[in-house]
Amino acid sequence: MIAAQPLSDLLPPEALASVDSSPLFGGRPPEAIVRPASVEEVAALLSWASREGVGVLTMASGHRVAPVTREGRFVALRMDRLNAIEAYEAADLTITAGAGAPFSSVTRALGENDQWAPFDPADVAARSLGGLVAAGESGPLRMGYGELRNHVLGARVVTGDGRTLDLGGRVVKNVAGFDVLKAVVGSRGGLAAITSVCLRAFPRPEVDRVLVRTEPTVRAAAGLALAVGTAPVLPASCVVVDRLSERGERAALVVRLHGSRATVDEEQVRMERHVGVPFEVVGDVGTGADAASSESTRRLLEGVRDHVKSDGTVVVASVRPSRLPRLLEVVDRLGPLALSCDAYTGLVRVEADPERITELDLLRRDVIALDGAIRQERISSTAMRGSADPLSPHDDRRDASAAGRTALARRLETAFDPAGALWPART
Amino acid sequence: MAQAYEAQRERLLPCVHCGFCLPACPTYNRLGDEADSPRGRLHLMGAVVEGRLDPASDAFQTHIDRCLGCRACEPVCPSGVEYGALLELARATATEARPPGVLTRGLLALMGRPLLRKPFLLSGRILRATGLAALATRVIPSRGPLASVRLALAMLDATRPWSPEAAEGRRTSESRAVPRRDRALSPGDAPPNRGRVGVMLGCVQAGLYSRVNEATVRTLEANGYEVVTVAGQDCCGALHAHAGRLDGARALAENNIVAFERAGVDFIAANAAGCGAAMKDYDVLFEADAAMSARAAASSERVRDVTELLASAGPRPGAEVRLSVAYDHPCHLLHAQGVSGPPISVLEAVPGVEVRVIVDADECCGGAGIYGLTHPDLGARIGGDKVAAVRAASAQVACTANPGCMMQIGAGLRLEGSSQAVVHPVEVLDESYRRAGFYH
Amino acid sequence: MTGPLPPRLERELRSVVGADHVITDPDRLMVYESDGLTAYRVAPRAVVLPASTEEVSEVVRLLHGADIEIVPRGAGTGLSGGALPTPDGVIVGTARMNKILSIDAADRLALVQPGVVNARLTEATRPHGLYYAPDPSSQSTCTLGGNVAENSGGPHCLKYGVTSRYVTGLTVVMAGGEVVRLGGAGHEASGELDLVGLFVGSEGCFGIATEIEVRLLPLTEGVRTLLGIFDTMEAAGHAVTSIIGSGLMPAAVEIIDKATIEAVEASIFAAGYPTDAGAALVIEFDGTEAGLDADADRAERCCLREGAREVRRASSETERAALWKGRKKAFGAMGRIAPDLLVQDATVPRTRLPEVLAEISRIGERYGLKIANVFHAGDGNLHPNLLFDRTDAEELARVEKASHEIMSLCVAVGGTITGEHGVGVDKRGYMGLVHDEVELDMLRRVRRVFDPGGLFNPGKVVPDAVDAGALPEVSEVAS
Ligand SMILES: Cc1cc2nc3c(=O)[nH]c(=O)nc-3n(C[C@H](O)[C@H](O)[C@H](O)COP(=O)(O)OP(=O)(O)OC[C@H]3O[C@@H](n4cnc5c(N)ncnc54)[C@H](O)[C@@H]3O)c2cc1C
Ligand SMILES: Cc1cc2nc3c(=O)[nH]c(=O)nc-3n(C[C@H](O)[C@H](O)[C@H](O)COP(=O)(O)OP(=O)(O)OC[C@H]3O[C@@H](n4cnc5c(N)ncnc54)[C@H](O)[C@@H]3O)c2cc1C
Ligand code: SF4
Ligand code: SF4
Repeated sequence: MIAAQPLSDLLPPEALASVDSSPLFGGRPPEAIVRPASVEEVAALLSWASREGVGVLTMASGHRVAPVTREGRFVALRMDRLNAIEAYEAADLTITAGAGAPFSSVTRALGENDQWAPFDPADVAARSLGGLVAAGESGPLRMGYGELRNHVLGARVVTGDGRTLDLGGRVVKNVAGFDVLKAVVGSRGGLAAITSVCLRAFPRPEVDRVLVRTEPTVRAAAGLALAVGTAPVLPASCVVVDRLSERGERAALVVRLHGSRATVDEEQVRMERHVGVPFEVVGDVGTGADAASSESTRRLLEGVRDHVKSDGTVVVASVRPSRLPRLLEVVDRLGPLALSCDAYTGLVRVEADPERITELDLLRRDVIALDGAIRQERISSTAMRGSADPLSPHDDRRDASAAGRTALARRLETAFDPAGALWPART
Repeated sequence: MAQAYEAQRERLLPCVHCGFCLPACPTYNRLGDEADSPRGRLHLMGAVVEGRLDPASDAFQTHIDRCLGCRACEPVCPSGVEYGALLELARATATEARPPGVLTRGLLALMGRPLLRKPFLLSGRILRATGLAALATRVIPSRGPLASVRLALAMLDATRPWSPEAAEGRRTSESRAVPRRDRALSPGDAPPNRGRVGVMLGCVQAGLYSRVNEATVRTLEANGYEVVTVAGQDCCGALHAHAGRLDGARALAENNIVAFERAGVDFIAANAAGCGAAMKDYDVLFEADAAMSARAAASSERVRDVTELLASAGPRPGAEVRLSVAYDHPCHLLHAQGVSGPPISVLEAVPGVEVRVIVDADECCGGAGIYGLTHPDLGARIGGDKVAAVRAASAQVACTANPGCMMQIGAGLRLEGSSQAVVHPVEVLDESYRRAGFYH
Repeated sequence: MTGPLPPRLERELRSVVGADHVITDPDRLMVYESDGLTAYRVAPRAVVLPASTEEVSEVVRLLHGADIEIVPRGAGTGLSGGALPTPDGVIVGTARMNKILSIDAADRLALVQPGVVNARLTEATRPHGLYYAPDPSSQSTCTLGGNVAENSGGPHCLKYGVTSRYVTGLTVVMAGGEVVRLGGAGHEASGELDLVGLFVGSEGCFGIATEIEVRLLPLTEGVRTLLGIFDTMEAAGHAVTSIIGSGLMPAAVEIIDKATIEAVEASIFAAGYPTDAGAALVIEFDGTEAGLDADADRAERCCLREGAREVRRASSETERAALWKGRKKAFGAMGRIAPDLLVQDATVPRTRLPEVLAEISRIGERYGLKIANVFHAGDGNLHPNLLFDRTDAEELARVEKASHEIMSLCVAVGGTITGEHGVGVDKRGYMGLVHDEVELDMLRRVRRVFDPGGLFNPGKVVPDAVDAGALPEVSEVAS
């Protein structure tokens, strides 16, 4: 038997942070917190971990981390030193940055050329680029711009056993061979550690118009949202929140229209005609908009985006949009403290009352009956204790092919991470 | 044969195997086998030319034979492959390698010889006039050995003249103001002289659709054309060419070229899309014949569909005919000649007519000569879809600009128990002119 | 093993799909020996044409049981030999699976069988005010199954994105015949790995897609089309960069080079482009009527600033068709000036277009080949068309060498070896340019995740050591 190799043999001291400085990890600290500065160091760590049977918990900024409910040795892999903007080709509308780069810094760089990356999941401002890609959430702007996964042009990743892969490229149509990158986007650190990402950038729209319609109930607002969804225009996003403090704590439908001023004006008219009610113009963000109103509009948008607080017990559920009214009834039983809903994808996020989270298993049946999905996404640190990997994905469909789907997912994980070094592994 | 191969080789070259022609093909759409697609058929032709495939093989024989010849594959081809010409060459190769069945041979013999053709078509008219054809259609079972006979008789019955008043839902008036055979006598403001026209009378039209020929003459005259009788014309040769009997086709064509030359016409008007397409292609038929090619080309230049001539003259409006008309494009007009607007303009020129172009009007009706008789199953499927589309348009009459298609659609309707009339666009215009008193 | 199928298997297949839908006559099979890439010819052992998921599953199970390779085939318009048969294999074609199963206008989704022709889906959804956005130039004939397998793009994918953006769910028949439903609208929250995204673009190597759920978009109201005529390709390239850089979001930006303009204008498809032009640019804006003219004006100014000698604008559908004609007919026109045509496909960063095009024309000169370029400039997706005559073995060899140089060039400037036509058999040899051995091995592993026995489309995309040589080289078959 080969003697265990200490990590300090492999990595320079700067790459090893002290452990006691971190109050994270649900009470069980990792053996080490590794902060590599290069893809080679990431590869060295992961091949070591695979050899030694040590788990690796990948985290980006270290902002938030999964609870450690598993037995066994593990280290934390923090990407925060891999945070450089590596290449920004404004004319080609591409930007490449280290996985640990805060998304906000990517946004800032793009902003200098009046460009942006149109992704707005909750807390996006606090996320790292790698964490965003690993989580694979696009946010409601996918209505107008398409999913994140289609705009991640390339990534450099290290598999669980330390192989470095350059996936995709730096051009819009970038796949030669199978589109392995698509599987990595949204894999939550389960397939590979992402070390850098090339994103497609977009020109900022001339006008980003924010329209609000308040309604007494979420259901009523959702009903209007569905009408927007069948209007002969394609808004940039269409979101329902159960409360909008700026509007007297009433439920609200928030619609964004992007384009030139003439287009946006026309589309607003058309949408209102189709839906049959007028909307309140909160303001325009963008060139030509008045700065103060632009700033307050931006703040309102952020409020809507981060409406479902990140530190609670978060449940996400989805159905086809037309079934949203029924899904809203179902999740109501979680006693939502906050709720937001993307009418384009039929995705609902709720911050559940921790007391009532036990209902989740009961709800599951109803959601399956709607041919939807439901999953706990975040868990408050108090509720977390004792539960075994509560955040593992749930594809609850009990159709004949469920076993086939699961088998595919497991085999894919094995292809990337044969030794199962990457945590959290799924149960 | 070597010459036929050379002619094919040249024409096959532009085919880049892109497959754009697949969805246009009625046989591929229904069978799903690429061997029954245009690209597949071209590939088989190529294989024969390259010597990789025996022209007597089942594969070549079956798939070339199964082609409707509708040429829907031509306009969609980005490379401009001349499928129609290639098909004729391929059919020639195929018949040479393996003589066709008795049905095809018999019919060709019949059509190629006026002496045989005339009594045959006459007996058809008698069967039709006595109502025997209609009766037999109803009593013969749709399946079994006599199914083809039933279809043939239904086709015959479909050629009966129509009654415009009945179609409009009115009672038939006792006396028709104008005997149908009368010539157009243009009133007062005589239209300008638009040229001298010889009408291609065709064999089926002359035999079973004389009324279409008459309406052609009258409506042309009413629009300022000088129509002359062209003696000595014969079958256009399309049936022969489509069956691969290119020599037979050339003999007929040469005869027609001479006849129309002698008549000194500016235009040759065809009211059967199949004849028009064949005559517009006489130049191709004679391309390798130094003696005839220039004359054939000049002749092709002069050929027009009757609706093209009428549309270029307006046509002048007549009196109201209150009819909804379900229009279907004949393949040999739409695909082979690229004529789609004129027949519709002719119909729309009639006050009171509402034209409804049927769904998938650009798809073949399955008539394709005697396709229904030689390929009963597939023919019936294709024909059945067409009849369904005609009925779905729920118009008072069905209309198409080719006697073969009129017969096929009419037969399909009859077999489904519908007595809806199927008319040629010039018949509708003619009725409008009759009512307007143009023919006094 | 090649040659006829075991009689018993043939019988069983016929009983599953119907006797007429299993083709075994070698003469008839000849028709299937190529797809849109005719440089290769391999006849399959048989062709099976099932009509439903159940039939596909049963057919795959039977073939799997007999250890026979399977090559899925849609309309056979692929340009990389993806649907090229393997000599030991059986083609499973989707021509009979051509039904649109449902159109859900409220959720803007459609569920289709894989044999549905791309353009037909748009026709069927238009009455609902909806359409299917990805529009490969072959859309009038290629199938959605083929589009999924190739992750196809098209002129308007510049604004709207390629196939993967629109596929929300798939039913797939896997190697043993098992049926697996992947993704599906309404399952966003499952948090599962994105198997749909992975399957799209798998070039028939993972399984057969038998049902496809796609997103539809509302029909656009208006469109403006511009045709910019330039003296040099360089200027046209700069105009593209300037248009995109100005923040405009055109629906399509297509370039037609000098060689192509000459070919088109000399053909029966003459589109009225000036034959002495160095390049033409077709630019299109679509969307809400209001604002389109302003966009078109700005784009026109970009063109003129970069030296366009003329910018034409279409305001009617007929005029629009006329401006597009040179682009749309290019392929056919080239088919008429040369017996064979190799449509290459690669992407480069948009800003590198001018230099890459200049270098491609030098490569053409060096090998004495005519190379015409007509392509999706907005995406940097090049389609150099190499014209040749395949009966000339020596010329063919030059075509291969020139292709290789073009691919190396594109990779060297930061692009890749295929934009939308896939790797198939044609590009296998270039995979080494973009992937090292570790990555190639990863692609093989991923393929085995779906198809452990390597039954589907073996030898395509990533050559396994064992597979290498299973397919003949281009020069062998062509000579
Ligand atoms: C127990 C638990 C508690 C949580 N609590 C909160 C909370 O209180 N508040 C909150 O906002 N969110 C919480 N989350 C959710 C999660 O952290 C979010 O997805 C987060 O917003 C992403 O931010 P980040 O960029 O900092 O990535 P991280 O939080 O660091 O990571 C998010 C996910 O992506 C993976 N990942 C990150 N970077 C990479 C990379 N470079 N390569 C591969 N995989 C990577 C991680 O393994 C993890 O699965 C919690 C999750 C868990 C499991
Ligand atoms: C003139 C022309 C223009 C073209 N323009 C474009 C363009 O603009 N953009 C573009 O992207 N492509 C273009 N193409 C290429 C081609 O049309 C596309 O790749 C198309 O998607 C192929 O579809 P198909 O139905 O013909 O598939 P095929 O060629 O039959 O098959 C393609 C691949 O898909 C696999 N496959 C087919 N069906 C299935 C299924 N149901 N499940 C799993 N695998 C399957 C096959 O095995 C094969 O690997 C063009 C081709 C031509 C000839
Ligand atoms: S469309 Fe034309 S070029 Fe394409 S395969 Fe058919 S015949 Fe050949
Ligand atoms: S002529 Fe008609 S039936 Fe024959 S191949 Fe062409 S489209 Fe098909």
